[in-house]
Amino acid sequence: MLGVARRMLRRADLAEDAVQECLVLVWRRADQFDPTRGSAKGWIYTILRNRCLTLLRREDREVATEPAEFDRAEDRIVVDQAFDRLAASSDLRRCLAGLDEPTRRAIVSSYVLGHSHGEIAGRLGAPLGSVKSWVRRGLGKLRECLS
Amino acid sequence: MTERSLHLLIDEVILGLADDAEVARLETMAAQDPDVAFQLARARDGFLALDETAETLVLPDGFWSRVESGLDDAPVDGHVASAEIVDLSTVRRAMSRWRGMALGSIAATVLLALILGWSVLTPVAPAVIAVLLNDDGEAIALVEGRPDNTTLVTLLEQAEVPTERVMQVWTKPDEDGPPVSLGLLPTGRSETLTIDGLPAPHPQQLYEITVEPAGGSPTDLPTGPILGKGLARKPVV
Repeated sequence: MLGVARRMLRRADLAEDAVQECLVLVWRRADQFDPTRGSAKGWIYTILRNRCLTLLRREDREVATEPAEFDRAEDRIVVDQAFDRLAASSDLRRCLAGLDEPTRRAIVSSYVLGHSHGEIAGRLGAPLGSVKSWVRRGLGKLRECLS
Repeated sequence: MTERSLHLLIDEVILGLADDAEVARLETMAAQDPDVAFQLARARDGFLALDETAETLVLPDGFWSRVESGLDDAPVDGHVASAEIVDLSTVRRAMSRWRGMALGSIAATVLLALILGWSVLTPVAPAVIAVLLNDDGEAIALVEGRPDNTTLVTLLEQAEVPTERVMQVWTKPDEDGPPVSLGLLPTGRSETLTIDGLPAPHPQQLYEITVEPAGGSPTDLPTGPILGKGLARKPVV
């Protein structure tokens, strides 16, 4: 869990805060968990990722759509690493591999790094509207492949 | 809302691309419609593999005590406090020890659930499943055959087997060949049987349970009455 938070938030202190808040929420909301609707792991990680996204926004990250060159390079490494580490046999990997590279990076970076449409657009130097429709097409293809 | 736009909303919420209003809208829909909740959870689990690619990091010292004190703080998820205010701080202090233990147990339980979930769900998916029926068409046992010819036999009713007799499980790996014994159920209860040297089970393979003399059939072929039999099917996973 700490690894997921650290990857998204980059800062160790924020990541620990996120995991801590997540565990408190898990404790408080345990009665809301319904095992017939997906795995406990998925439920817990969703809470964690939501905390991370809230912290990211609090950091005012959505305004910074023009990151430093160094950050871009590091983001790219993290995103590619996440994709490369997916088990070769996993459906998600096979289906992500079927997408063109920029779409795949956009989808993985939003999940793994918490990037918003704006941040993705900033990194690609593309208009926000086209990035949105283009991620949507990618998600459509991905869902079709996964189903 | 069309199915397509629902799917898109679900995916964007999972990726974190949706805005707060969209997230709230989906949560309301999921709370009202179990099908939406199910689709959301399923899509969420589909992306879970990406979380597993993160580095495993060790939690720092003192982390759990911070979590514990976090439990005493004001709720962070918007629960409205009751108008009747009762000072529970003394009770809370007294409870903190128990809470620590409970939290430790939760951590252990979650870990166990994850490990169990992992081990139960991943490697052991049965290759085939057969429901064995008796002459009256009642299900008496569930047989799950794994690719390595480990066979899980779950009895669905208490069989009446005379003393000096034993239940024996058979299968026909080759449709035209003789039945092969998978093993005995000497305790009369559900069991996991293992056998070497058979090909992996396939759909339409026959499984049956017969009543044989103690120690198993003397001829290595079924001789006694059939308790139940059924053809294997491949589960949809």
